[in-house]
Amino acid sequence: MVARRETSISQLRRGVLEFCVLALLRDGERYGVELVRTLGEADGLVTTEGTLYPLLGRLRREGLVETTWRESPSGPPRRYYRLTSEGDDALRVFSRDWARFRTSVDGLLETGPTP
Amino acid sequence: MTSPTLHPLAAAYLARLRAAARDLPSTRRDELVTEIEDHLVEVIPPDATDAQVLTELDRLGEPAEIVEAERPEPEWVAPAATPTQPAAIEPAPRRGAQEWVAIVLLLVGGFAWGVGWFLGALMLWTSRAWKLRDKLIGTLIIPGGLALTWLVLFAPWVISTPRKCGSVDGHETCTGGMSINDTLFVVLLVASFIAPFVTATYLAIRAGRAERAGRTAPAMSAAG
Repeated sequence: MVARRETSISQLRRGVLEFCVLALLRDGERYGVELVRTLGEADGLVTTEGTLYPLLGRLRREGLVETTWRESPSGPPRRYYRLTSEGDDALRVFSRDWARFRTSVDGLLETGPTP
Repeated sequence: MTSPTLHPLAAAYLARLRAAARDLPSTRRDELVTEIEDHLVEVIPPDATDAQVLTELDRLGEPAEIVEAERPEPEWVAPAATPTQPAAIEPAPRRGAQEWVAIVLLLVGGFAWGVGWFLGALMLWTSRAWKLRDKLIGTLIIPGGLALTWLVLFAPWVISTPRKCGSVDGHETCTGGMSINDTLFVVLLVASFIAPFVTATYLAIRAGRAERAGRTAPAMSAAG
């Protein structure tokens, strides 16, 4: 039972993570390590940073983000990620749905169902 | 590909990642390994201590975990089944519309001047839900399906040749008891009537089995 609950949480996390990536890109482009670090530092969101790279690749293949290589002031060139208009739409829809979802779940968790 | 400045511990980690990713399609594997390599080059300074490198590798996680995240997502509703699956790149075979139509056409399509049966056979052979043996059985038992039985049953030349028949008032009447040929004919007729149904049932079961076997893989293909 405990194992199943852990799986549910990790699925929930996996489901919202891609939108967290999109949200980080809302204000402009960022490079891979920057994204991975920011998400890794958010409490309880990511357990292993390496698993974010497959996610970034998937978002790119789905056309929600696009990438450009830019020279880095130190070290090798960096791949920068930027929202596409599809990504922007997806983020907008998710933000609206998430707000309703969060309100409902919080309501139930805190007070129980209202009669 | 490996950067000359990469710390030996990081290089060993990349080698483990590449080994763990050997089942992935090569473009995805190369891309993944390159991304992780770029990450390591970025976060590990050239003069890093072993402890610093190990800390960064811990943050990245186990290579197997990263490769697992690269695989197609498991179904949201069926969580537990995925961890040890082989890389399922081929779309799952499914018993979809094509399979059902093929089965029906093979059975009764022959009544449409035989064309329906050939169409059914074409769909049988192009479907991925059946193996070669199933396809051979579906085609050979019985070519034409029920239409062939029908044809044999009502073809007067089959019945009249071995028997003594005479014409009375314009109607063809046959007399005499059953010969061995007649008995054989009836047996073959009954068999040829039942066989197409048996084949149809067999094909439906086999396609269903392929569907169940393929269901653990994500059902992304609508092509069937």
